Amino acid sequence: MIAYKFLRADGTSVFTSFRWELPADGPGPWVEAPVEPCRSGVHACRIADLPLWVSRSLFEIELGGEIVEDRTKVLASRARLLRRVDAWDDRARDEYVRMCADRAHELARTASPPLPDWERVIEPSIREGPALLGFIAARIAEAASGVDAYRAERARQSAWLADRLAL
Amino acid sequence: MTAAVGTQETDLLARLRAGDERAFTALVDRNYGTMLAVAQTYVKSRAVAEEVVQETWLGVLKGLDRFEGRSSLKTWIFSILVNVAKTRGVREARSVPYASLAPEGEEAAVEPGRFRRPETSFPGHWQAYPRDWRGLPEEALLERETLAVVTRTIEALPPAQRMVITMRDVAGCTAEEVCEALDVTDGNQRVLLHRARSRVRAALERHLDG
Amino acid sequence: MDDAAQHITCQEVVELVTDYLESALPADEAALFEQHLNFCDGCVIYVDQIRRTVATVGHIREEDVPDETREKLLTAFREWKRS
Repeated sequence: MIAYKFLRADGTSVFTSFRWELPADGPGPWVEAPVEPCRSGVHACRIADLPLWVSRSLFEIELGGEIVEDRTKVLASRARLLRRVDAWDDRARDEYVRMCADRAHELARTASPPLPDWERVIEPSIREGPALLGFIAARIAEAASGVDAYRAERARQSAWLADRLAL
Repeated sequence: MTAAVGTQETDLLARLRAGDERAFTALVDRNYGTMLAVAQTYVKSRAVAEEVVQETWLGVLKGLDRFEGRSSLKTWIFSILVNVAKTRGVREARSVPYASLAPEGEEAAVEPGRFRRPETSFPGHWQAYPRDWRGLPEEALLERETLAVVTRTIEALPPAQRMVITMRDVAGCTAEEVCEALDVTDGNQRVLLHRARSRVRAALERHLDG
Repeated sequence: MDDAAQHITCQEVVELVTDYLESALPADEAALFEQHLNFCDGCVIYVDQIRRTVATVGHIREEDVPDETREKLLTAFREWKRS
């Protein structure tokens, strides 16, 4: 199964700091990690999950062995990085941030009643990056129209990423 | 218990039974502070707590030949300690009644005032981020004064919290060892640990920011 | 599943941190916890503070055994050896 994985700029996993061997001329080596009911194994994103796990670098990852599809991620007992998604660069990140910020403003203004307090949070948060802005936009959607709107906004974000990054 | 710990313990047991004084005093040294903290959960006076610890070691010696190793040595020692402490605690008419190990009441890890209010935007999020300690030099947290703050804070904790954080984070006992020795549920042990750690973090923050 | 929480707050994170570090959070909550940390620098800082607190506590030198106590116990040990 092909999926996606965000890593820090230095190629380590965000939560475990596991250092991946990055793909150079071809895929990286297979990594083994038994899947337990709760947590371990290698974590990866489907397209729908991308906005939740946004980080500095993005890779395409091949999953094998035991694969468990969870609500917001996929777990696998073995995996290898296939290629870096070069399209996810500084420019794409800035565009995503701006897209989310613009959406957040629109959602806050068109809410009934409007949400000026939420709007005030947007611009100051820009420097904290794409993950936060994505959350803010979805959260404003929720404040305006409920949980379904949160999910819909997240789906919008995934679609934007899939399109922009040609995934 | 990993295989490595298992052989370490078998080794220690053998040396104790062979009468190795150094092994015995090392074991006493290693556990004294923690045992004292645990004893003080059950008896109020420090002098009585010291007696409890001594009595415990006598009990350990008495039972050492019969010890089968079904639990770890540490767990066994602490079980004896708890029994001695409880008995003594009951006998001490003026001591603190047997401290219930069920965490009582509510205790916020961080004052609610530091988060955005429920009726505002971004409710429940930090009003201002805490200070990033990753920017501090390595030694800052290991300075004598800092350790003194931590020690004082732990000493001032409610007894059950003090006991759990001492066993878990000072003495390095596992959660299972704490639960077995103190006859407390994993959940309760974790709540006590959580509260204790939260208080120590707060004290450290005041010290580093102040 | 449609009613499931989509996100948690910083105020909730500081209460869940011990469970998280002990690997005692159910999978769904752990995922929410990590998602939150993915976008919230404040909570990343806080969790790091807790980790450093634990490490610092581990550096406390435990109390020394009072000399008198050590003597008493050593004597008891020697007596036990002999019996």
